[in-house]
Amino acid sequence: MTLQQILFIVISLVVLGSAFLVVTTRNLFHAALFLVVSFFGVAGFYVLLDAGFFAAAQVLVYIGAISILFIFAVMLTRDVITAQRGNSQWQAAAFVGAFLFLLMAILLGPFSITIRGHQFGNANWPFDMAGDAIKAAPSNFVGTMGSGLVSMDQYGVPFLLAGVLLLVAMVGAIWVARELRGREAEKAAAETAIDDADMDMNQPVQETLPLVDTNEAHESHDAAAVEKH
Amino acid sequence: MINGIPLYWYLIVSAALFCIGLYGVLARKNAIAVIMCVELMLNAVNINLIAFWRYITPAAISGLSFAAFIFVVAAAEAAVGLALIISIYRNTRSVDPEKIDSMKL
Amino acid sequence: MTVFEVINNILKIAGDAFAGLITSILGAGGLADFVVMLVAALIICALCAVAFMGLTYAERKIVARIQDRIGPNQAGPYGVLQPIADGIKMFTKEDTTPAEADRWVYNLAPLVIAVFALLTYAVIPFAPGVVGTNLNIGVFYVIAVGSGSTVAILMAGWGSNNKYSLLGAFRTVAQLVGYEVPMLLNVLPVVMLSGSMSLVDIIERQTLGNGGNGIPFILVVPLSALIFLISGIAETGRSPFDLLEAESEIVAGFHVEYSGMKFALFFLGEYVNALAVSIMFTVLFMGGYAGPILPPYVWLLLKVAAVFTILMWLRGTLPRVRVDQLMSFNWKFLVPMSIVNVILIMIIGKVFVADPVTAQVNGGIAVPPLVQAMILFTSNVIVLLIGLLMVSRQARQLRLTEAEDLDRRAAHNKAAAAKVVAQ
Repeated sequence: MTLQQILFIVISLVVLGSAFLVVTTRNLFHAALFLVVSFFGVAGFYVLLDAGFFAAAQVLVYIGAISILFIFAVMLTRDVITAQRGNSQWQAAAFVGAFLFLLMAILLGPFSITIRGHQFGNANWPFDMAGDAIKAAPSNFVGTMGSGLVSMDQYGVPFLLAGVLLLVAMVGAIWVARELRGREAEKAAAETAIDDADMDMNQPVQETLPLVDTNEAHESHDAAAVEKH
Repeated sequence: MINGIPLYWYLIVSAALFCIGLYGVLARKNAIAVIMCVELMLNAVNINLIAFWRYITPAAISGLSFAAFIFVVAAAEAAVGLALIISIYRNTRSVDPEKIDSMKL
Repeated sequence: MTVFEVINNILKIAGDAFAGLITSILGAGGLADFVVMLVAALIICALCAVAFMGLTYAERKIVARIQDRIGPNQAGPYGVLQPIADGIKMFTKEDTTPAEADRWVYNLAPLVIAVFALLTYAVIPFAPGVVGTNLNIGVFYVIAVGSGSTVAILMAGWGSNNKYSLLGAFRTVAQLVGYEVPMLLNVLPVVMLSGSMSLVDIIERQTLGNGGNGIPFILVVPLSALIFLISGIAETGRSPFDLLEAESEIVAGFHVEYSGMKFALFFLGEYVNALAVSIMFTVLFMGGYAGPILPPYVWLLLKVAAVFTILMWLRGTLPRVRVDQLMSFNWKFLVPMSIVNVILIMIIGKVFVADPVTAQVNGGIAVPPLVQAMILFTSNVIVLLIGLLMVSRQARQLRLTEAEDLDRRAAHNKAAAAKVVAQ
């Protein structure tokens, strides 16, 4: 067994184990941390595959940005996080997952099965699945990829679209998640108030609290501060 | 650094990762956890793309470019999805996908 | 080999001799390589710990001088044994865990932060040929690893189960993630001008010979250097951007519950990160270990000491910024200016080409490297001046409205007070 094989097995155990914990653990914050571990293991796969650039990008994008977003979302919604593990259909989901995995393992693995004279398995794949004839590691693929991404003959248009997608996602996320302020908030409050009134016709209208002149209270405080100066 | 590792090892590991993510998407009771599992599935896809690139077409850049686009899509998806969940949470005080079934907040 | 060369390359010679010794014992192959790399990594970690102790002492002394104090002077002559005394204190302190803490997360956080801080040193070149691994994506690696410490700080903040810790963690996200943007944007000009992301190549480009022209990038893109330094300070969470551990507001932020060795690990992470930022600044903008007459490692030490002194100086003099000031400084000032700067550098780099062969192939005016550097310098200074001008105009307006507001309030209050007196 070569060193690379040992590394591969260790990394895949880490990735799959932490992924399994992501989907089963009760504490959502722990799930987010296991997700980080899983992402880190995937970065290890990229290093094994000679794609160091993608390993660094994985750490920067997934660990530095996306998992931070997840942890933040978990923190913001922590008062409604329940300790329930799965929903009512988890058995069906487990069956679907296991069945799909078995199917893919048969199709992709080194096995082949024969059903009614038809052979299924990787023997039918048109390329070398065993990786016997290993091709040389590409040198400086980052430069090739960069010029391919900006070249209009290759991936220029999808690259531009990716930029547009990021911009749209950024603007959309800010727009969706922003808190209403000022007049908009008043408008929204008025709308919900009308809705509430529509819904609870029988209920007496809540008495408004006596208005406290908060402005004046503030200003007298300020006055004291100014006088001190 | 791929001495002695056949391609199908990567494919099976990524299939397993994909199926674990799929199970999570179907079974978790929390919308944030569902998006986490979607990210796991996207990662599985990325492993596949880069493994195919390295083993079969190391001279071409198509696998790498698609992997890069998946990074972009994953980032956009996480940002918009979590923003939506936070917004829903503000209005309904719930992040359970089964409870978010009305068309009106 | 002359004595001069031996002195210059002493680190490399010692390293080669050690590697030869290990290979002769274990035989050439994977195991010997593994042992050599392990020992090298251990040496770097030990050096980081020693540097941490030295830096705490230097910082306390220098900040004390700035603030007209004496600083540590009891342990040993001039207090030089103070770091050791601190270490003994840390070791012997009780190691507490809050009762309601998330135990695993709480105990892992200091380790994670120290590991991410030390990972940076794998690619930093200390002298010609003395570098952990010369990655072809060195700069990208450093930035990627630097972003990992955010997770550790969030772990500490959540795991402690303390509202101040959580507040510190919330601030972390806003600050560290936000200041990564200008940092990346200002590494870009260096990468574009040197045509490589490898730290060794970047240093070579700033030295004479080997395709370099001997002009350090701080003289070519001074604005990028300035913004990189500012955002680097913010990334390490040092004063004046120490909002994540603001002692006077949220006690100590994310590490308020930690004591003993775990606190020491946080402290180590902070200083090792600050040192990494200074080293990255010297490598990217000041030519790293390159320099005449003196040996390379001495040059590196001198340059890093100069940059770190600037960090201490800022810490000793500037007050902490407010959260909203921090955010608007980043998103309304640093980021737009960086984007304008990067675009200008791109255009200038395409129009005035330093390499005559490229100029013939791609078009553009072929100029000597010095002229290109001067044009870039001028454009940088102009962008900086325009940015400062706009900000100062806006600040004046803001001050005027605030003063008006204060006057109005004072008049109102005086009238109200007069009314009360009259009654």
